[in-house]
Amino acid sequence: MARTLRTHALTLSLACATMLVPASLVTAQAQDKPLVIARDMDINSLDPSRGFCDTCQIVFSSTYARLVNLDKDNKTIVPMLAESWEINADQTKFTFKLNPKAKFSDGSPVEPKDVKWSLERLKNVKGSASYLVDPVKSIETPDAQTVVIDLTESNSEFLSVLTAPFLAIINSDVVAENGGDAGTDAATKDTAEQWLLANSAGAGPFVLSSYSPNQEVRLKRNDNYWGEAPAVSEIIMQQSKGGVSQLQLLEGGTADIAMQVDPTTAKSITNADIVVDTQPSLNMVYVALAPGAKGLPNPMGSKVREAIAHAIDYDGIIDLTVDGKGRRLATPIPEGFPGTGGAEPISYDVEKAKALMAEAGAADGFTIDAMYPNVNQYGVDYTLMMQKIQQDLAEIKIELNLEPVEFSVWRERVNGDGIPLTAVYFAPDFFGTSQYIQYFAMMDGTVWYKRAGAANDPELARPEVAGLLKKALSTGGAESDGYFRELAKGIAEDHIILPILSPDNVFVYRKGLEGLRFSACCNMVLSDISWK
Amino acid sequence: MLTYIIRRLLAMPFLLLGVASLAFCLSHLTQADPLAALVSERQMNNPEVIAAAKERWGLDKSLPEQFVIYVTNLVSGDLGVSFRTRRPVLTDISERLPATLELVIAAMIVGTSSGILLGIVAARFRDKPIDYLARFFALFGSTIPVFWSGLLLLYILSVQFSLIPGPGRFDPRGQPPPFVTGMYTVDALIAGDFRGFLTALHYLVLPAFVLGWSVTGILARLVRASMLDVLGQDYILAARAKGAGERRTLFRHALPNAMIPTLTIIGYSFAYLITGAVLTESVFAWPGIGSYAVDSARTLDYPAIIGVSLVGASAFLLSNLVTDVTYAFANPRIKLS
Repeated sequence: MARTLRTHALTLSLACATMLVPASLVTAQAQDKPLVIARDMDINSLDPSRGFCDTCQIVFSSTYARLVNLDKDNKTIVPMLAESWEINADQTKFTFKLNPKAKFSDGSPVEPKDVKWSLERLKNVKGSASYLVDPVKSIETPDAQTVVIDLTESNSEFLSVLTAPFLAIINSDVVAENGGDAGTDAATKDTAEQWLLANSAGAGPFVLSSYSPNQEVRLKRNDNYWGEAPAVSEIIMQQSKGGVSQLQLLEGGTADIAMQVDPTTAKSITNADIVVDTQPSLNMVYVALAPGAKGLPNPMGSKVREAIAHAIDYDGIIDLTVDGKGRRLATPIPEGFPGTGGAEPISYDVEKAKALMAEAGAADGFTIDAMYPNVNQYGVDYTLMMQKIQQDLAEIKIELNLEPVEFSVWRERVNGDGIPLTAVYFAPDFFGTSQYIQYFAMMDGTVWYKRAGAANDPELARPEVAGLLKKALSTGGAESDGYFRELAKGIAEDHIILPILSPDNVFVYRKGLEGLRFSACCNMVLSDISWK
Repeated sequence: MLTYIIRRLLAMPFLLLGVASLAFCLSHLTQADPLAALVSERQMNNPEVIAAAKERWGLDKSLPEQFVIYVTNLVSGDLGVSFRTRRPVLTDISERLPATLELVIAAMIVGTSSGILLGIVAARFRDKPIDYLARFFALFGSTIPVFWSGLLLLYILSVQFSLIPGPGRFDPRGQPPPFVTGMYTVDALIAGDFRGFLTALHYLVLPAFVLGWSVTGILARLVRASMLDVLGQDYILAARAKGAGERRTLFRHALPNAMIPTLTIIGYSFAYLITGAVLTESVFAWPGIGSYAVDSARTLDYPAIIGVSLVGASAFLLSNLVTDVTYAFANPRIKLS
């Protein structure tokens, strides 16, 4: 009896002692545990001037700082390396004052010359993201704290552009020592990419610790970080293809976050230690039509395109592909971006579609090729989606020859002869509407103007787009919104780009984690994540 | 024998050059755009960016010029730079090949030992329940797709019972052993890191079993058939008549002769597993040459595709040579010339 009492007393004392351990100490120990993220990584370079991918956005925004940042509301631009800025009235001159506290991971201060060098290198290496600095005419560094960026023409969204992780500010001295070059012939002279695949040279909250392609990326807390230090000491992004495999890593205890679990797989989770958090995204899955594609059996005039747009059962696709975890879009531009709001998505109306086909003289229907990349992107299985669209269009006697192919094959065809009906995806690089207009609008020079076959079908061109875009970028505020709204309406009325859905982001992670959020500029902000 | 081996080894570089040339031509015959891996969608209409990418990666030159440059570099040991990883292909392969070799060697150990044992047992107890059981297991191994058995076993053993870790090669929170061979189990033993060895082994067991199971299936059936053939011969009857015990009859008299055709299959299996470990590597997130090959093919990464083709061809050439030599040792009637 006495022994039992002693045992109980000892147990109680231990329990009390455990409770007396400060909660902060327990949390601190948890933060020191490396955080493992399972993700199918699409890294094509870890050189911020050359890399261009979703995973690059995450890594660059963690290891490098930009002049300005996007706040948690995904709209407001907040200081980062620049503590303040001024913009002239016609939005062509941007003057930034750098934060004197800002320093790189090697402890050296961030200077205006680093900003100039980084942005000029991005432009001159002519990499995948160099288009973001196309509007830049010159960069001046009048004093030890000031950077002045002059643009070739007005651009009210340029400040937003500067939040993109590809506009990372690089430690120019360090990278130049390792082959970096920002001159006009940097495309051939710069040889720093190999070094940047193994090292980072930024002023972000983390530093690149190691990188094994298609295996893992290791980031360690930047001990010289000049801002609020991230809570987690080390982050390991582990390569894992597919949501099922990622979930196995999470359930097996190897990973803490599974990044690309689709809603249907997430629905099957019964483990109480795993949290499924669904948040709206800015990603878009769309169908595109090419009236100018070679060898079309039947013209795809405006009435036929509108008929196709009405014949697609959008809600049915959202239910089928992402278990209802997605939203419809009125235009390709995400809700909340400049020029959106109030517009209604096109209706699913088969009778109207049939009537339009009859008006176009195509009541008997026709058969067209529908080549598409055989991918599962943002949780959407493209084959499943295209099979549903095939069924839907059969209602108006349009038969689709589905042809799933590898992305590289798809790109060859879509940029060559054109594909009459295809499907693909889009995600923004920053908070702003101009990137959508410059990609989707029927204006000479945009990607989809060419792919829609405008060279073969001049009726597709909208001559007013260039002027409206110029006005939108040279004004600002409500006036700019109005022009963007008009441009977005034009894209919707063309029925070349048919937004199918904006799939939600599904974050699947271990209980006890917090701070996971989707960012319009940076995908997922690692420095926000911590253990409770 | 030595002359034969030297002649075969001397012929290898020429054969590999032929393979590289064939892989180069086939890669360039596909109707796909390698720029897809090099230039973003946003920049496809930008002629300056396209021109810069083509110049940087040598795609601005004619195909014969590209071929001559490639072969010249190849002769000096330069396999080019991967479009996808942006690193020298030789670096990529040398990092990934040890992972595949470790997996394949473990799978071969599992596959050959269990296949031979099951074949002997099945032959010894012909048409008995144990024979049926062994044949059923073997049949399962050679017919079930790896992606199915791998995912199922992962789910049961890792998720449901936590007996083995999930996909991967080493605990990401741990520190892999220092590089010597690149095979974690071996390197951990060399470093005297027994805990590291156990961790690496823990991760290796299931993928090795899944990959080796297909070899088990083939070998068990082959050994069973060979053993039945040998056990029916007169010299076995004579051995038994002279009072040889069952174990001696099976392992001393029957097995060495039954193993001769099996050696060929073991040799080919090794090369087959190196080039065919793709699915296992994908299911188990094993960072080997198989998953590298798949990713390279999908992005039309020419330099990597040709590099992997060379590794595959080398594996086949070497395993054929080893098989032929072993065969000659095992069967004195074979003369290599």
